[in-house]
Amino acid sequence: MQVYSIPNSIKKDSKFTFCKGCDHGVAIKIIAEIIDELNLRENTVAISSSGCSVLLYDFLDIDCLEAPHGRACAVATGVKRAHRAKGEEKFVFTYQGDGDFASIGLGESMHSALRGENITAICINNTNYGMTGGQMGPTSIMGQLTTTSPLGRNKEYHGFPIKTAEQIALCEGTKFSARVALYDVKNILKAKKTIKKAFECQLKNKGFSFVEILSSCPTNWKLSAQDSHKKIAEELTKIYPLDIFKDTIDD
Amino acid sequence: MIEKSLLKGNIAIARAALNCGCSCYFGYPITPQTEIGEFLSLEMQKRNLAYVCAESEIGAINMALGAASSGQKVMASSSSCAVALMQETLSYAASDELPIVLVNVMRAGPGQGYIYPSQGDYNQATIGGGNGDYKTIVLSPSSVQECIELTYKSFYLAQKYRNPVILLVDGLLGQMAEPATITQNPYPDIDTSSWRLDGAKDRPSRNIHSLEPNQNKLNQHVLKLYQKYQQIEQSEPDWEEYLCDDAEIILTAFGTMARSAKAICNHFREQGIKMGVFRPITLYPFPYKRLRELSFKAKYIIDIEMNMGQMLKDVRLGVLSNSQISFIGKPVGDWLKKEEIINAIKNIIKEQYASI
Ligand SMILES: Cc1ncc(C[n+]2csc(CCOP(=O)(O)OP(=O)(O)O)c2C)c(N)n1
Ligand code: SF4
Ligand SMILES: [Mg+2]
Repeated sequence: MQVYSIPNSIKKDSKFTFCKGCDHGVAIKIIAEIIDELNLRENTVAISSSGCSVLLYDFLDIDCLEAPHGRACAVATGVKRAHRAKGEEKFVFTYQGDGDFASIGLGESMHSALRGENITAICINNTNYGMTGGQMGPTSIMGQLTTTSPLGRNKEYHGFPIKTAEQIALCEGTKFSARVALYDVKNILKAKKTIKKAFECQLKNKGFSFVEILSSCPTNWKLSAQDSHKKIAEELTKIYPLDIFKDTIDD
Repeated sequence: MIEKSLLKGNIAIARAALNCGCSCYFGYPITPQTEIGEFLSLEMQKRNLAYVCAESEIGAINMALGAASSGQKVMASSSSCAVALMQETLSYAASDELPIVLVNVMRAGPGQGYIYPSQGDYNQATIGGGNGDYKTIVLSPSSVQECIELTYKSFYLAQKYRNPVILLVDGLLGQMAEPATITQNPYPDIDTSSWRLDGAKDRPSRNIHSLEPNQNKLNQHVLKLYQKYQQIEQSEPDWEEYLCDDAEIILTAFGTMARSAKAICNHFREQGIKMGVFRPITLYPFPYKRLRELSFKAKYIIDIEMNMGQMLKDVRLGVLSNSQISFIGKPVGDWLKKEEIINAIKNIIKEQYASI
C-alpha cells in the first residue's frame, strides 16, 4: 500500500506559499523525492533563481544558493567547478522559470549547455513572467493574453516564442533534454522518471542535462486549477510537445 | 635572498593570486587586463583548478558568486566598462556575504572610451553601481610590488569580512614592468567551514540568498552589514604618508599618480617648501581620520587625479580644517606631466609662497 509521506529532503516546517493549484509544489516535491531516492541530500548544492521559484530554499532541506535573475546556470557552473578544484564532485542543479532560463538568462543557459557543463537545469515553463504578475515572456504562445500583450501575442508585433527543450537539445554539450508536464498522475510519474534520468546524467558525469516542465499558473492564466491542467493537456502540449529531444547519456 | 625580477603588473597579480591559493578564476577578455586571464588559463589548468573563459562578464562574475559559496579563494578580473556589467552581482555578493576578489585594471571612459590610461573608476569602485546599501572594499596599488602585496591582502580581507574586494589598478600599472619580488603570502587562511555550501552532511542545510520578503528581517540584515562596514572602517584604513609630518602643503593622490606626486614633492622640498604626499591605499575604507589630523597643519590640500576629481569628494569629507582644497586633473590619456603639475601647483600657492 502506498502511503503519502513527505520526502526527507523537504523541510518539515515548510508551508506551501505558491498560489492555489500551482504546479510548482508538485515539481519541488518530485525533485525532493528523487534527491532522497538517489541519496543526494548531503552532497547537493541547489541554485534557485528569481521568479516564483526563488523560495526553493524554503522547501528543500538541502544547501541552496540564490542566483540573480537569469544567472542560475553561471552560478551553478561556478559551484560545480569550485568543488571540482578541490577534488570533490557535488551534485548541482538549478531550478528556474522560463523567463529566467530562456529570456534574461538565455546566454548563460545556452553557454552552460554548449560547454557541456556537468549540471542539471530544471525550467518551469508557465508561459509568462509569473512572479511579476503575468507579463508576456519568451514562451508565451501565439494569441496569449498577458498584461503586456493585451491584444494577444502576435507574430508581426511581438515575434515568436522559444521552444526551449528543442533548442537546448541542439547544443553539443547537452546530453539530455526533455519536456514533461504535471497535469495528471501519469504525467507526474513520467516527469519524475525523466528528471531522475537527467540527474543520473550528471551523476555519470556526462554533461549538461535539461528538463523543461510545462507548469500551470492559474493566477495569471485566470483559470481554475482544473482548467489550467486542461489547457496544458489540450493546448500547450500541441505547441510544446512532451518528448525527450536528446538522450545521448549512454553514447 | 629572494631575487627581484622584471614583472608586469598584470602578471604580478596573476602570480600572487596563484601563490596565495586562489583556486577559481573567471574572466572575459578586455584590454588592458587580458594578460591576467591569459596567464592563468595555462597555470590553472595545469593544477586542475577552476578556470572558465566565460561567455560574458555577467557570466564570469556569477560563476565567481557560485564558486565563492564553496568557501574557496575566487577571483575575476576585468576593466572599467566591463566591470560596469558586473555591478548587479557585486551587490548580491555583498548581501550574500560572499568573498570575491575582482581586479579592475582601468581604461578610459565613459562608455567604451578607449584603452588610454585613466583613473576614472574611483567612483564606480568606492560608491558602487549596484543597488541598495552595500560597500565594497577597494585597494589601490601604486607599484608592481604592491600589486603583489595587495592581491594577497584582497583575498585575506574578502574572506575575513566575507565581502567583495576590488583591486583597483591603473591601466598603466597593469601594463608596466618593473623589478618586483613574488613574496610569500603573509596572511593566514580563514576557516570558511561555518558558512560555506558543500552539501548538508552532518549539519543542518544552509541557504544563501539576498531575497527577504520580511521587511523587519531585511532591515536587520542591512543593519548587520553596516555593523560590519563600521568595523572595516575602524580597523582597515590604510595609507602611505610621504614627508607629511611638517607639511604645509599636502598632495593627495592614489595609485600611480602618487608616484608623480612624490617626485613633485621632492622638487618643492628642494626649494625649501614643506610639502608632503598622502596616498590612500584603501579607497574604501578611506583614511579620513588620518587625513583630517594632517590637514590641521596644512594650508593647502591639493588633490591630483587622472580623472575629473573623483577622490576629491572624499578628500573634502576628510578635511575639516580651513586648508584650501584644490584639484589638478585630467580625465584621459598621457599621464599629467611633472612640469604641468608643478605649474598648476605654483598657481595655487602663489599668494602664500610668492618667492616661487
Ligand atoms: C535583473 C532583474 N530584472 C527583473 C527582475 C524582476 N523579476 C523578478 S521575477 C521575474 C520574472 C520571472 O519569470 P520566470 O522566470 O518565468 O519565473 P516565474 O515567476 O514565471 O516562475 C522578473 C521579471 C529581477 N528580479 N531582476
Ligand atoms: S504566479 Fe503562477 S507560477 Fe507563481 S505561484 Fe502563482 S500560480 Fe504559481
Ligand atoms: Mg514563468
